Amino acid sequence: MILPKKYRAITAAIVLLLVSLSILAYSAARLSETGPLRKMVLEIAAPVEDAINLSLKGLHDAWNRYLFLVGKGDESRRLRRENAALNELLNSYREGFLEGMRLRKLLDIKDRLHHRAVAARVIDSDRTSLFKTLLINKGTTEGLRVGLPVVADQGVVGRIIETSWHASRVLMLIDENSNIDALIQRTRAQGILQGAGSAGCNLKYIPREENVQTGDVVLSSGLAGVFPKGLLLGVVTGTSGQEGGLFLKIDVASAVDFSKLEEVLIPIPDAGPKP
Amino acid sequence: MIRYLLLPPLLLLLVIAQITLLDLFTLGWVGMEISLVVVIYSGFHLDTFPGGIISLLLGFFMDCLTSTMFGLYMFLYLLIFYLSLFAARMIYSEKPSLIALFTGICTLLEGLAIVLLYRLLLGGDILYAIPKIFIPKAILLGLLSPFLFHLFHRFEVLLHAKELQPAQRV
Repeated sequence: MILPKKYRAITAAIVLLLVSLSILAYSAARLSETGPLRKMVLEIAAPVEDAINLSLKGLHDAWNRYLFLVGKGDESRRLRRENAALNELLNSYREGFLEGMRLRKLLDIKDRLHHRAVAARVIDSDRTSLFKTLLINKGTTEGLRVGLPVVADQGVVGRIIETSWHASRVLMLIDENSNIDALIQRTRAQGILQGAGSAGCNLKYIPREENVQTGDVVLSSGLAGVFPKGLLLGVVTGTSGQEGGLFLKIDVASAVDFSKLEEVLIPIPDAGPKP
Repeated sequence: MIRYLLLPPLLLLLVIAQITLLDLFTLGWVGMEISLVVVIYSGFHLDTFPGGIISLLLGFFMDCLTSTMFGLYMFLYLLIFYLSLFAARMIYSEKPSLIALFTGICTLLEGLAIVLLYRLLLGGDILYAIPKIFIPKAILLGLLSPFLFHLFHRFEVLLHAKELQPAQRV
């Protein structure tokens, strides 16, 4: 029997649907069975699926690694910031410790001097110009006045030449205008220690007969009343007898390293010296 | 002829890509059943014979690779194909909103049929899958279907163009 053309499609559809429904019903009854066609499709599809999944896993892993590295980068930046902050903190503690050590040395000097003393911080140092001066952060408000001696833990720094309410200018002992009564510790020979600029100081008016040697310690004599007696001024670095002269030419290196000076002490005698 | 020989591996690749790659886009939340949209497109744009073959093959591959009941997708895809074929004669099948609506309805019908067949043939109750799986899937495929129809159409034009080239030379 040949069907008319217009019914062929409908018939084919019904037949196909019935066949597929039968297959479905049959397979539902026997779930465990895998037909040869299904096996073949699975055999073909499995390696393709495997390859795709492996590629996806690779991409996924790469992405995870990227995220991990991004996370590590953030962590690294955070740790670097923390490290910088901690270093800053450590530096401030270290500075505080060193400052404490320096101030302790100044306090020792203060105890030795038996005077009321004011500790000051060096806020400016003018060592390169013609006048060798320092600026300190204490002034008349704290009892400072012109002419007072200024010392550090290493020795004498100089004397105050200008004061304002909260700052003072100090003439360093290496300035050419600085003259301090001094004596050589070993021989007790007395002279005047005059500043010689960057070269250090010269000890003047020491007779030629005096046995002065390199390395001799020079102290303040306390004669003029400005500097207390016995403060360290410097060390003799060289001597030469001027031909035909009465006195020796003695080079003295200052005991204070002015380039590293941060705190100073100003002893204030009860009856202060006149400027 | 070459087109028919290439069809099974291409459809198999589509199903494999669908179950491996496309699910990634929805993060496994809802299945991207592009094969169903291909079946609906076949119903709308192809003749009975090639469309039927495509639906049958897609159903077969889906059964082989995803289904626990062999024949389930073959039956459903054939049903949806003939439904689309019938609908294509009744509605204007180029309108994106109608394509989206029809795809959504077909996806829902497929879901309902699966729930029903599970209950009838295996005695299982998977009613929960309708709100959790099939409704989101219907919305997603409905929204994507106009764009997918456009892509399939471009692909079809490309295939026809390649087939016509030797004849034009003659």
